[in-house]
Amino acid sequence: MAILGISAHYHDSAAALVKDGVPVCAVQEERLSRRKNDAAFPLNAIEWCLDRAGVRPEELEAVVFYEKPMLKFERILTMALRGFPRSWGSFPRAMRSALGGKLWVKGMIASDLGVPSDRILFTEHHQAHAAAAFFASPARRAAILTADGVGEWATLSLGRGSIEDDGSASIELFRELRFPHSLGMLYSTFTAYLGFPVNEGEHKVMGLASYGKPAFEEQVRRMVPRTADGAFALDLSYFEFQEGARRSFSDRLVAELGPARDPWDPIDLSTAEGARYADVASSVQRVLEEILVDLARSLQRETGLQDLCFGGGVALNGCANARILSESGFRNLYVPCAPGDSGCALGAALYADRLHFRRAHRALPDHPYWGPEIDAGELVRLAREDGLELQESPREGDLIARTVEELAAGRIVGWMQGCAELGPRALGNRSILAAPHEAAMRDTLNRSIKYREEFRPFAPAVPIEHAERFFELPEGGARLGRFMSGVFPVRPEWRERLAAVTHVDGTARVQTVERAMAPRFHALLEAYGARTNLPILLNTSFNLAGEPIVNRAAEGYSTFRRSGVDVLVAENVLVRKRRQASSEQAVE
Amino acid sequence: MLTSFLVRAVPSTFDLLLKPLHRRVWADAHRRASKLLRFAETEASGGRDLSRAAERTRDPSLRRLFMRHAEEEQRHADLFRRRGRELLSCSPGRSRFEANWLAPGERGLDDLQIDAHCDESLLAFLHLSEKAAAGRFALYAQVLDCDPDTRTVFVRILEDEVFHMNYTRKQLARLAPRKQGLRLWQARAGRLFKAYLRLATALASVLGTLMLGIQYFVLLPPFALLAKRGARREPPGFAAARAPTPLQRQY
Repeated sequence: MAILGISAHYHDSAAALVKDGVPVCAVQEERLSRRKNDAAFPLNAIEWCLDRAGVRPEELEAVVFYEKPMLKFERILTMALRGFPRSWGSFPRAMRSALGGKLWVKGMIASDLGVPSDRILFTEHHQAHAAAAFFASPARRAAILTADGVGEWATLSLGRGSIEDDGSASIELFRELRFPHSLGMLYSTFTAYLGFPVNEGEHKVMGLASYGKPAFEEQVRRMVPRTADGAFALDLSYFEFQEGARRSFSDRLVAELGPARDPWDPIDLSTAEGARYADVASSVQRVLEEILVDLARSLQRETGLQDLCFGGGVALNGCANARILSESGFRNLYVPCAPGDSGCALGAALYADRLHFRRAHRALPDHPYWGPEIDAGELVRLAREDGLELQESPREGDLIARTVEELAAGRIVGWMQGCAELGPRALGNRSILAAPHEAAMRDTLNRSIKYREEFRPFAPAVPIEHAERFFELPEGGARLGRFMSGVFPVRPEWRERLAAVTHVDGTARVQTVERAMAPRFHALLEAYGARTNLPILLNTSFNLAGEPIVNRAAEGYSTFRRSGVDVLVAENVLVRKRRQASSEQAVE
Repeated sequence: MLTSFLVRAVPSTFDLLLKPLHRRVWADAHRRASKLLRFAETEASGGRDLSRAAERTRDPSLRRLFMRHAEEEQRHADLFRRRGRELLSCSPGRSRFEANWLAPGERGLDDLQIDAHCDESLLAFLHLSEKAAAGRFALYAQVLDCDPDTRTVFVRILEDEVFHMNYTRKQLARLAPRKQGLRLWQARAGRLFKAYLRLATALASVLGTLMLGIQYFVLLPPFALLAKRGARREPPGFAAARAPTPLQRQY
């Protein structure tokens, strides 16, 4: 029995296919369309999933969309009415967008896939987040927290999930916060205030926060007063997003914090203005963390459970996750590999399988590699046509030894193995790898490969067996690091030797690599450790600024040729760059 | 024979007629900065489209050329961005009016779906697009007497644009020696159709906004009163979660 899950129309569209209760494949539309954060209806992703699973559309038991479109429309309309007459500018835009397509998802699915409309189902947005977080975790009973910008009405929900011995599963969401009171929107508003693109630049705010002091903490607190029941309510006089305005913050917020940053202005942290931006980022980060820790703590007290499953875009905030784990009383915090909307495709399909069709729960493979597989033959063809130096290593040991030599010599390696990751993190199958020792490496990567701001840190990947030696992990920290979901301190004695992956505040967003999950990547880290006494590599996503993470070998090759990546490895093929090759050959 | 395709960047007659207006548009330093920064985005996006084209083609020499083209678009983006930022830092005034309809940058690939086109039609489209951009950049270089540094940026970029214009034409002749004329006409028709679509969409958007705007002010006020009253009655903080509804329902 195959169930197709779909998320679309906001950001990060995706499709996922669950067969007999277990995911077969899942992919974000952007990886196939090559448009970053593609929000379009994910036809490419759907086609790929069906092909991969060998399922025809008419064989699908159900197609599950991750939202209830009419409920969402009710929220949009209600907010326009509440904002009258100030919402006059956004009303036509919102109506055109909803009536022009988003509202007719059922018809769209039925006509595009040829599926009878009675097989098209709709979960609520936060139900999909909750299912993605809970069913993908190894927990049998867990508290559930979901938080994002907004779904239909809910922006944050609290609940619990359980799996009984007979495999019957339940998810009960018992409380929620409703739009416009949203932690995701709070953070996005500050993302916009700091001149970064919303839904994309939130991690830049987190990176910038480490450079500042929470000097505006009191002001930000006033914008998010707490309510008597332990929740919060945004003071809407500081915000304009609820009225659909083009700018999400009000003049009052600017009066409190100073002028917003122009997106074109570079951030120079040595200037007073640059320091102010960092302080604002630090302040909102602090307030967000405290609210989340409080909510998680009260949820722990209420449920008495040891495990927390956290989903929604806010769960991408690794600093907040680490504090939740350390301070809320939960022993384990499970954040899925794709906690944002892309993961909802999988969540919606799992929700329908377990709770609508009432099938017994089956444990899910605990890895993030659900996407398309790499074809090394494509790289061989491209490299041969361009006359590049190519080595094929039938034995894994040879390939790893060669790669380690390149890394140890300070070269930057594009590393493509197996199936692509689902979610925003490259976890060793579509990664750029480099030596973690020198700060100069971080600057090189930021300047000539990723073309991004200097204040943004890089993550280390370490075999789980060695993680404690280098990083101060709380109980459950190693698990949180599985999908790079937590930021933890680097042990002081290692900071200097891990300069490329240690952020300015002495922390790092650690990926703990288990042999069972990524055997070849694990072997590479171990071999690098044997060569350098430091089994850690800098791991960043294999893409250039503004592009999605690479998917096929051709995309990896193109990125390799256009950037400062020195060596490209796809499966068992290693290609080295010949300097000036491109310009010599291109000029005819 | 192939050298006969070499063409120079020449502004269109229409643009030449509007030269005094262009001079005025580019005279304001802040507007200049904003336009350059916007051009930077377009060039970067065009570079991404070209790298996609390089990833898709099966022709090795075309792939290398697309790759080089992509790198050059990225370099142009850097040049525009750097100059735009320099201008921004020394021009405190604000000019919201950018006149993009009159003085656009390169249109990238004009919303072309790279994946849906063969090499030949892509080359034809690229050729026309690069030719238009080169003509426009040549004109901007002419009207920027007031700002030699920005003019230098345009002159440097123009050299690449001329190369792009010529290699696309040359490669089109190589790949489709008999159908090159047809491909170019098809590309021209495609550009015209896209221009029509842009215009029609803009017009529909204006009409739609007008209609919805009227409805907003005529029909909504009583409902708005009710909605506001309802919002005032909502207690702050948590609400009980909505009881799950059947998955067949959309609300």
